[in-house]
Amino acid sequence: MNRRTFLNWGTAGIAALCAGVAVSLAAVVRFLTPSVFYEPPQMFKIGNAADFSFGPPTFLAEEKIFVFRDREKGFAIASAVCTHLGCTVGYFQTDGRFHCPCHGSVFGADGKVEHGPAPRPLEWFEVTLARDGQLSVDKDRVVPAAYRLMV
Amino acid sequence: MPQLFFALSLIALALMLAVVWQASAPAWKTYQREFHRLEAVGEPNALTKNAMLTTPLDIRQVLLPGLQRVDRCTTCHLGVEDPTMRNAPQPFTFHANLAPHLPARFGCTVCHGGQGLATDQQNAHGKVEFWQEPLLPREYIRASCGRCHKEGEVPGVPELAEGRRLFETQGCRGCHKLNGVGGSIGPDLTEEGAVRRFPEWLARHFLDPNAVSKSSPMPNFHFTKEQARALTFYMLSLTSEQMGTYYSSVRLIPSAGYGRQLFVEKNCIACHTIGGVGSKSGSDLLGVTKQHSSGWLDEQLVNPQLVYPGSSMPEYDLETNARKAIVTFMASATAEDARSILAGRAKPLTAQEAAIEAGKQNFARFGCVGCHGIQLQGGVPNPNSQGGEVPSLLHASDDYTKQEVIKIIQNGKAPPVENSKKPAPPLYMPSWKNVLSEEDINRVADYLWSLQKKRDAW
Amino acid sequence: MNPIRDAWQSIFRRDPLSTDKGKSELVFLNVWLHIHPAKVKKENLKVKHTFYLGFITFYLFLILVTTGVALMFYYRPHPPQAYQDMKDLEYVVYLGTFLRNMHRWAAHGMVICVFLHMCRVFYTGSYKRPRQFNWVIGVFLFLLTLGLSFTGYLLPWDQLAFWAITVGTNIGSYAPLVGGRIRELLLGGHSVGESALLRFYVLHVAVLPSVMILLTMVHFWRVRKDGGLSRPVWKLKAESAAKVVTIGAPAEPAFRVVPASKDKTYGLMEVVTGKPIFETVSAEEEEDTVFSYPYAFFREAIALVATVISVMAVSLFWNAPLEEMANPVKTPNPAKAPWYFLGLQELVSHSALLGGVVVPALAVLALVAIPYLDPNPSRRPADRKWAIRAFAAFAIVNVVLIIIGTLFRGPGWALVPPWVHISGAE
Repeated sequence: MNRRTFLNWGTAGIAALCAGVAVSLAAVVRFLTPSVFYEPPQMFKIGNAADFSFGPPTFLAEEKIFVFRDREKGFAIASAVCTHLGCTVGYFQTDGRFHCPCHGSVFGADGKVEHGPAPRPLEWFEVTLARDGQLSVDKDRVVPAAYRLMV
Repeated sequence: MPQLFFALSLIALALMLAVVWQASAPAWKTYQREFHRLEAVGEPNALTKNAMLTTPLDIRQVLLPGLQRVDRCTTCHLGVEDPTMRNAPQPFTFHANLAPHLPARFGCTVCHGGQGLATDQQNAHGKVEFWQEPLLPREYIRASCGRCHKEGEVPGVPELAEGRRLFETQGCRGCHKLNGVGGSIGPDLTEEGAVRRFPEWLARHFLDPNAVSKSSPMPNFHFTKEQARALTFYMLSLTSEQMGTYYSSVRLIPSAGYGRQLFVEKNCIACHTIGGVGSKSGSDLLGVTKQHSSGWLDEQLVNPQLVYPGSSMPEYDLETNARKAIVTFMASATAEDARSILAGRAKPLTAQEAAIEAGKQNFARFGCVGCHGIQLQGGVPNPNSQGGEVPSLLHASDDYTKQEVIKIIQNGKAPPVENSKKPAPPLYMPSWKNVLSEEDINRVADYLWSLQKKRDAW
Repeated sequence: MNPIRDAWQSIFRRDPLSTDKGKSELVFLNVWLHIHPAKVKKENLKVKHTFYLGFITFYLFLILVTTGVALMFYYRPHPPQAYQDMKDLEYVVYLGTFLRNMHRWAAHGMVICVFLHMCRVFYTGSYKRPRQFNWVIGVFLFLLTLGLSFTGYLLPWDQLAFWAITVGTNIGSYAPLVGGRIRELLLGGHSVGESALLRFYVLHVAVLPSVMILLTMVHFWRVRKDGGLSRPVWKLKAESAAKVVTIGAPAEPAFRVVPASKDKTYGLMEVVTGKPIFETVSAEEEEDTVFSYPYAFFREAIALVATVISVMAVSLFWNAPLEEMANPVKTPNPAKAPWYFLGLQELVSHSALLGGVVVPALAVLALVAIPYLDPNPSRRPADRKWAIRAFAAFAIVNVVLIIIGTLFRGPGWALVPPWVHISGAE
């Protein structure tokens, strides 16, 4: 066999090998991407509309959300996670605002930053009516503060 | 040589592609696409419809951290909570009568069995080697109620309470351990519902042990079909997984009905009054939930002495969930409840009747029936003993004095040997003095003597 | 000014590969390749001389490290979770089953290849002077391979793993005086439990692989320093063979300078007096050598790809076993150790002292001592009939015992032919 054929076959072999390695690397990235999450789901049901009272929002500690219910406007879900560094904010009935315990950020009732280091307003999540009549919240879908679900 | 290298490299590439291809199309993705198509059919809103059709495909799971269970059933069974899927084909069918046991809180496998971790049908349904919890057949699923509802009657599942009653009265504990109490001739049943979930086998076993398990020493109790079924239900419910505790620690609501049942079962009305109705020795319970916090009441039910030193209230071994249920019942209980509970109670027994009844209970519970027979007729073969059988006890009072019988129960007795050259008889009367108190043994003797009286009367 | 070329040349500073200097520099200026000589003897490239078993073993080790690290991302060494993670690998992790299969089958393959490699080295007499110490290292690498395989066996935490380790560690506990203590140390308790799982995990992913890598480095280094792969020197032409110099019997001039050829460069550090350690290359033999690039590298690459595709192909079609979760109260019948210890278990079933202590201790001692006890300096098979017969007997007895233990032992360790289906106790 002469040198040229040797090198040609060799190069072709190395090319095939590189393709194989490329596929394997892609597969490894996919392998490392989690297909299930060992944490509470992003989309969950919070119960029937009747379970929630009008007036000050209901805080769901595990889900880290506030459920607002208004007689005229309907339901809205606010995130309880401060946009600054992720602490859980509290709702103060005395002034109708959200206060973050970590660095003193204050958010208005509509989620807008009124004070402190928080860079963005609180997030609002989509809430829909599931077919079994329960309210379903999807944390993956952020909606404008004006979003309301009328039940 | 380079050709070989090239060929091998090509094979490596081809194999890698084959591996990726094999992993690319799991069956659950097909099911999810099909479901979203079904779901979108009846949807009038075009926007929602589109959103349904483009829902990302992913594995769904319910985490039950306290039980070490992960149920991925809803990855394919997507319609369980969707009433519009009532008539959809499996795996999408709506699960009727689900509330309050919603899959998002309870998972699926605790009731249905199966392998929650799996994501393909065969493995998920658990009918594979090396999975001990295959799907329960439809008619036995309700047995799983007993895995949490361990006390009282479960509405719609009378088999459970009946099975438990049979277990406690037929002397099963004489041979079998359950939660650490019982004999060791037969297998421990504490995990029976977790390790041997083959209901058909169990049902046939109760009808005739030797039919399914040759040379089993378990006597044939001649159960009826219904009794065998009830025992099968009870067996299937036995597991040491702390399900009731787990679910009551999450968001299960213990009902007032369950609390009332416990109130009756534990005979609380014997001491307490509600609104002045009942016995007078204990405190009145009307409005007790307003006087004390639920935490205080819970503590009181766990350990009365701790709250009120010197309290005469006994400790009841109640689960968290059961205590909550009782407190819930207290919140709504009225004098009317007390009156109906009192009306439902049987006439109290005389001291003598009570002693005989207790003896009968002991006789049944500690497995005497295993050898001496359910009707005390004896007759279990015991080769090389005189008579060749375990003696009947119907005539105990003819052949012995009461003191002699009590001695035999206390110390045990080896049966008289027929032929000393042959091996000793396999069965013998064990000593019970470390198991039963002297009082208990006296009561068993009372029971045996009571049989004698009946015969005389006749 | 060409920054890209500068960068390239700062990484690969060698002459073009078309020149002999370039070919040499490719090897000795590269940290990964410089374990090779620039030129190798043609004899050494022949498949039938080594079957590339050492290479294949090393490649299997590389596969094991790669897949093992990948699997570590999804593994928690604690009882119920460990088993659950196996199920997750099987059902939800992308290619989880495949990677676990590869790890499992490569591990079994490595045990086999290490053993075959050892047989090859014995039959070619390659443990003899000056390679004695490398044989000893090889024996330790064999034991490490068994240790790695054994510690990895427990990690799935299923019935198979649990009882294999229970039985396996009990075989070890038959050693007098220290046996029980060693078992306790290994398990972190009196029986296999959560501390045993943690200990096995740490041994499997940290301790043993580190030792393995260190010893492998020494092993490879010694292969070079002991004169490269051994060759059937007696097959060389008579006149060449006469000029081969070996220690102990140096030819007339103990030190001889081979004149440099035009196209070869030598970097001579210093000239010292003394005897060379190993077979030196005579001038005539120069003609029997070829450049490592591409001849040796090509063959090594082929061996690598062939190893990888073999493991992949097996993993594509056969799944690694996973039984029900470990249950300490339910002993399977029969409970078997991992297959490579079944020979010992078979012996233990006849005599605990013999199988658990005497035979394994003697076997390891004998293996270590072989190069120092073998008085025969010749590597020619015709001169070593008894050595070859003895080793063959050792290997065959080993294999036969393992086959009996694996295939012919049923419930109660009774002798059962493998084709008899054993129906469940129920």
